Amino acid sequence: MPAALLLMLLTGLLTAEPQTNTISLYLSVEEGDRLIAGLTEKNFRLYEAGRPVAFRLEPPESPMLVTFLVEHSRSSWLYRNDIDAAVQAFLSAAPEGHWYSLVTFAHGTEVVKDFTRRIGELRAAYAELGAPLWQDIDTYDAVYDTLDKLELLPGRRVLIVMGSGFDTLSARTLSEVQKKMESVNVTAFAAGAGSSLRGMYEPYLGSAARLDLTQAEAFLNMLARKSGGQAWFPKFETAYRDIARAVFLTLQNQYRLVYQTSLPRDRKFHRLRVEAFQITDDQRKDFRVRVREGWRR
Amino acid sequence: MCPYRNSSGRKFTAVLLAELVAFLPAAAAAQSRKPPAPPQPRQVFETLQAQLQRPYLELFEDAAKLEYNAAQIAQMRKYLDEARDFCVREFRSRLSSYQKQRQQLQGDLKRRTASLEDPERRDMHCKIQNLRILESQAQMLAEHAVPVAYENKKAKLELIEKWPQELKRIRDEIASGAYHQRRFGDVKDIGIRELVAGQERDVKDGQEAVRQLKMTGLLPPELDNPVIKKYVNDLAQKIARHSDLRVPLNITLLNSREINAFALPGGFLFLQRGLLEAVEDEAQLAGVIAHEIAHVTGRHGNKLMKRATIASIIYQAAQVAAVILTGGAATLGAYYALQYGFYGLGLVLSLDLLGVSREFELEADQLGVQYAWNAGYDPSGFIRFFDRMATREGYVNGASWFRTHPPFYARMVQTKREMMFLPPKAGLIRDSEEFRRMKQELGKVTAQAEEEEKNKPSLLRPVQGCPAPDKLEYKPGEPIEKICPLPSY
Repeated sequence: MPAALLLMLLTGLLTAEPQTNTISLYLSVEEGDRLIAGLTEKNFRLYEAGRPVAFRLEPPESPMLVTFLVEHSRSSWLYRNDIDAAVQAFLSAAPEGHWYSLVTFAHGTEVVKDFTRRIGELRAAYAELGAPLWQDIDTYDAVYDTLDKLELLPGRRVLIVMGSGFDTLSARTLSEVQKKMESVNVTAFAAGAGSSLRGMYEPYLGSAARLDLTQAEAFLNMLARKSGGQAWFPKFETAYRDIARAVFLTLQNQYRLVYQTSLPRDRKFHRLRVEAFQITDDQRKDFRVRVREGWRR
Repeated sequence: MCPYRNSSGRKFTAVLLAELVAFLPAAAAAQSRKPPAPPQPRQVFETLQAQLQRPYLELFEDAAKLEYNAAQIAQMRKYLDEARDFCVREFRSRLSSYQKQRQQLQGDLKRRTASLEDPERRDMHCKIQNLRILESQAQMLAEHAVPVAYENKKAKLELIEKWPQELKRIRDEIASGAYHQRRFGDVKDIGIRELVAGQERDVKDGQEAVRQLKMTGLLPPELDNPVIKKYVNDLAQKIARHSDLRVPLNITLLNSREINAFALPGGFLFLQRGLLEAVEDEAQLAGVIAHEIAHVTGRHGNKLMKRATIASIIYQAAQVAAVILTGGAATLGAYYALQYGFYGLGLVLSLDLLGVSREFELEADQLGVQYAWNAGYDPSGFIRFFDRMATREGYVNGASWFRTHPPFYARMVQTKREMMFLPPKAGLIRDSEEFRRMKQELGKVTAQAEEEEKNKPSLLRPVQGCPAPDKLEYKPGEPIEKICPLPSY
């Protein structure tokens, strides 16, 4: 047996995701700033690697598993207020009835609070974090490790990243994180910190700082784009409340398409496309679909 | 004159001391590993052991007929103390051994992490997790279960020794009518009498405490079943109407496996699902609810609880819960400990943490019996529940209940005394059809909660499907004699 095939088989056995061919695809449908609800099966078309795929529309799995991944580094002092505001906003907006966990990262990733239905436990755990010890910001490693853990869990999984998006000392590369995101069925959202840099101090930024900021934003945007989520980079601290509400509203209004994938397990990336439309008076009106870009199996 | 004046004398003393220093710990260690020998003669020991297994209520009836002399009782008490100390040391030693094994394995794992193949790594992860389970169990047994189990046995021994004389005193009091003069002896005026003035003033404090309690987010979720809620509420309100309560009673049911109940000032009563599961009949539940209502009518919480400290008390309670229920394992161990029967990591808000002292417990026992009786319930329910908890499963799942409630003997006697002083009443309720229906409904809720707990997601579970440890330290419901066997004849 060729080594590559053996490796593929082993990978298939050791990870939870590729074992199944039945996929739950989560997506949201938008028109401008408005979320479109109430669509039925006949309002969608699904294409995998360019080929149409049969699917059924089912209610989203409940409860969902939401992990808050929070940057907690000494280097994040400039972003501290934003991150605090974001965490408080998300904890206040989180609807009851789901599982929530809190993971922080700096030099390594720490599960501060494992999944619980009691939001207050997360609040208490966050309040007890104290001052950060490490200067590093290992965002790539943190995202990778958390996806690794979420991958093992069944059901609907959501990752909400709150941080600058910078990375200083990760063992994982951007490419590895990207591949991981493509292979795991987790929807990622991001609330980018650094509102003062984008707002008040924006005119004073040098080119290097602008480049760093753009790079950090690109990483968080990549996570959202790859997984069908969304990333925000506000210019005011107060915007995090609206972002948190928007994330949970999006999650509440997501559709779930269940289908059998026929994609080969070749570790290659295969594009996915979903069309959402409404036909009124023989006129087709298309909506914007926020869905993951594809799968790597 | 100093005896160590000459140098040879000093040398001799130094050598002797050095020998002693070397010898004493070794001797102590040898002693600590040796289980206590059963006292002689065999027949007396065995019959007395059997008596200690009997329910309190039976012992109250039969203690006067039992013939054990002071020496035999003293011998048995010494044996129970030695047995307790031996078992505690045994589990502490096992805890230490498990910790060492785990640390060694973790060290190996760290050293070899780069070279380990997946199956071997997985095997090591499983071993570490299993050691954490055993650590949790050993710690739980050493710190909570064994002391409670032996406290209970000693209380029964004390009852055999002292109850006949106490019974005589009680009968004398009844004969002379002196019992009417006891504290809270005016039972015919329950509801009219003024126990402690100012219950109404506690409502605001209670509301604030409840608000803070909820804000911590540490409370287990509420049990949201209309049948169970209605039943418990009706029962509690009935008892409240027949008590000295002057404020509205608010009942909150919490969906947690923990066997506990607690009252906050101003009539805020919290009952946990585990308690409803543990009670065998309506009179037992009525006894516990009446006891908690008595804490409110006696204003015990208000006397000792400071509003400013409620949040820290609750947090402390949650920490205690973590230690009791998981042996303090904070990460992987917690998950696996939960898997193996400690789960239900709810709030263990013991009355001790609320600052309720022994005197207040005794007072609540007395008043609780009065309220249950006045509401038409068999007042023995509280003793029977207490007994069941301590003798059987209580010292494991109900560790939080008992942790702060000794001495058992004084409380049992206080309760029995009060039962004897109460005027006779016909048709006292022990069980009811509604209670059975509630239990049926509770079965469904419990099954659902257990299923959910079993399937609870976790980020701290890198290895799934590890085999369970070959031998656990205990299985839920096992008697202490099986958990820590001692030599017999």
